Amino acid sequence: MNFLTELREGLSISWSAIRANKLRSVLTTLGIIIGIVTVTLMGTAIEGLHQSFLKTISFIGADVLYVQIEDWGPHSRLEWVNMQKRRAITVEQAATLASELTAARAVAPVMTSRERIRFRKRSASNVQIVGSTEDFFLTGGVSVAAGRFFSASEAAGGRPVCVIGSLVATNLFPNESPLGERIKIDQQPFEVVGVLEKLGTFLDTSIDNQAIIPLPQLIAGFENTHNLDQIQVKVKAGADLDDARDELHSVMRKIRHLAPADADDFAINQQDQILEMVHKVTGTIATIGLFITGLSLCVGGIGIMNIMFVSVAERTREIGVRKAIGAKRRTILLQFLIEAATICLIGGLVGLGIAWPVTLLMQRFLPAALSLSTIGVALLVSLVTGVLSGIFPAWRAARMNPVDALRNE
Amino acid sequence: MSGCPPSQKTVKTRSITLLLGELQENFAMALGAVMAHKLRSALTLLGVLVGVFSIIAVMTAMRVMQGRIESEISQLGSQTFMIRKWPAIFFSLPEGIEKIRRRKNFTLDLCQQFQKKATLARNVGIQSYFWAGEIQSTRARTAPEVQLLGETPGSFAARNWSLAEGRILAETDVENARDVCVLGHNLATNLFPVVSGVGERVKVDGINYTVVGVLESQGTSLGGDQDNFAVIPITTGLNRYGGARWRTLNLLVQAPDQAGYEPCREQAEGILRAVRKVPPGEPDDFEILSNDSMVAQFNAFTLAVRLGVALISSIALLAAGVGIMNIMLVSVTERTREIGIRRAIGAKKRNIMAQFIIEAVLLCELGGVIGVALGVLGGNLAAWLLKFPPTVPFDWVVLGLAICSVVGIVFGTYPAWKAANLDPIESLRYE
Repeated sequence: MNFLTELREGLSISWSAIRANKLRSVLTTLGIIIGIVTVTLMGTAIEGLHQSFLKTISFIGADVLYVQIEDWGPHSRLEWVNMQKRRAITVEQAATLASELTAARAVAPVMTSRERIRFRKRSASNVQIVGSTEDFFLTGGVSVAAGRFFSASEAAGGRPVCVIGSLVATNLFPNESPLGERIKIDQQPFEVVGVLEKLGTFLDTSIDNQAIIPLPQLIAGFENTHNLDQIQVKVKAGADLDDARDELHSVMRKIRHLAPADADDFAINQQDQILEMVHKVTGTIATIGLFITGLSLCVGGIGIMNIMFVSVAERTREIGVRKAIGAKRRTILLQFLIEAATICLIGGLVGLGIAWPVTLLMQRFLPAALSLSTIGVALLVSLVTGVLSGIFPAWRAARMNPVDALRNE
Repeated sequence: MSGCPPSQKTVKTRSITLLLGELQENFAMALGAVMAHKLRSALTLLGVLVGVFSIIAVMTAMRVMQGRIESEISQLGSQTFMIRKWPAIFFSLPEGIEKIRRRKNFTLDLCQQFQKKATLARNVGIQSYFWAGEIQSTRARTAPEVQLLGETPGSFAARNWSLAEGRILAETDVENARDVCVLGHNLATNLFPVVSGVGERVKVDGINYTVVGVLESQGTSLGGDQDNFAVIPITTGLNRYGGARWRTLNLLVQAPDQAGYEPCREQAEGILRAVRKVPPGEPDDFEILSNDSMVAQFNAFTLAVRLGVALISSIALLAAGVGIMNIMLVSVTERTREIGIRRAIGAKKRNIMAQFIIEAVLLCELGGVIGVALGVLGGNLAAWLLKFPPTVPFDWVVLGLAICSVVGIVFGTYPAWKAANLDPIESLRYE
């Protein structure tokens, strides 16, 4: 008898065994269903959480380097205080940087302030005012929904024009188009030339609550300093990010007159640092969440093992008869393994059937979807659970002495 | 005697004795059944064990973290509350923050008006945080993380600060905005390792202050050093740092005793509503924070998370319950003849039912006790890894065991009902 026939026979025997004890099979499967549903939902929710984290940092470009005095990584209070004492990065340094970098597509100096914006009788307070050049359009991860971004000549000449974030636009201009209107930032008039696409929120603050103006305007009107918050450098298409980073690093050291032995007094930040933190956070949540839900799957597996032991004990005579007329150990082992695996697979399928509509509901809050890989993993996990919990009972059945088994009452 | 009907009392005691005897017998039978199938019982209670472990371990770990955060929040004395513009916890609503931002700031003038009118309070302190950085004495300089606080004499009692040497700030220091300071214990030992600091001068952010007192150590909280601060008169600080538009002061109010706490709080609220001209019917435009209220706010903030985690961690127990039901059904089928015999010699349906439910509960409780023990250990393992103080959540221990019984009863009822409703004749004939 070849293996395939054995497999087919084992399948048909276990199917009739499952059907023979309907209530028992249903309850055993139910244990697995509970486990698979919770694990699948937890996996989907964590994936959705991860996606929504990634979405909120999408405005931080993967090919943009951020030159600042502070490092983005986690640091102690003392390190932070020491970083605050570093020399500021100035407008002049940014200009030199722009002329000396070869691997940069755009170099945008960025300075920010917080002011109140008014239009006729409406006002929006605490708006982030970003002063930059036309290059910010390339580095800042923004795109224009209506109108245009301000031009190079407007930026260089410091014209009183501004591009406003979507939240400012909806707050100040509920009915009319903002394009061409004159708003007042603090006391000074600016002409709105463009409105940005909606960006969402980052760390609980809306990044749509902003307005971008030419840097000379911000310096003259609000900040009265040449110290920048950061320089954003977008790397040329096709250029290697690490090479560009190295070049940027050496040029910055030269610009800031650092001797070869001096430590850096600036930091070059990039998206990877934040991605790493996001991965760490979601990784921790995933470990804990999947451990807790995995426990319920484990309980389901224990239930199967228990019932399979009962089943083996009940069918001792049957096993004896089969062995007496020539069934090998392997055949018996396979028969019970298949029975356990079938129960688990059915449980897995039903569990996925229950989890699917719930993930659809989840999609309202999280960008989560039941992915094919999740489905595959869930089915694999249920199969493995079945085999693992079936193997001991099947082993016991396979090792039975046919004579004793036949004598069993 | 034989002719007399038994009195009501003897009937009652007899029925109680009967019930107890029945219970004892059921218990013995359940134990026998559990012991008869060792592997089966072991696997069944392993399921319950894992389920209970899941709940208890998770809840213990949560309790550990919660305890840590609560002790972090609770830095006021038990009879002290703080009044200020900003709430303790920001709910992430941009509009909400805007609304709070528009509240009037607490100015020195407003705080002093309040101080004069608050007659029920034992002490009123006016307080603000001004600066953090490096402090120098003639002998040493500190790491740049010393906090500079502005206070009035009332703050010292309200904060339970006691004096190690020298004196605390006096009313005249505040009135005349003198350049004097009181140092926290560790800060004083850092700045003046050998001699006493009192009478010496320290330089903070470019200004020399005369040290008039040193506080006693408050110990280290879990968050770190609690003594790393210097205290100057609030007026001195306002002269130096007061220019900022956002500057708002905090009021510290100490009630005379526990009984006087509520009246004191109500009076404070009333005074502030009057002083800040809040129209009747409008909500307060300030926050009254006490340890309890801050902890309560924090707990309300995390309630959804805690409920969700409790729910998810109890799903495993549901799966365990299904397993118990399954095994109990098998057990009932196997013992059909035994049930038939018991019924034949006079056992009632109720007796059979009790027998199987007790068996289920016994299984659950055995697993539950071990699961609770392992869960408390597992949860505190997390505490040990994070270096938090361990806790035993007694309420969850009790609740966990109670849930076990409930699971046993819920999932044991159907098999027991099935056993009790077997036809005695049919079951005697059962092969």
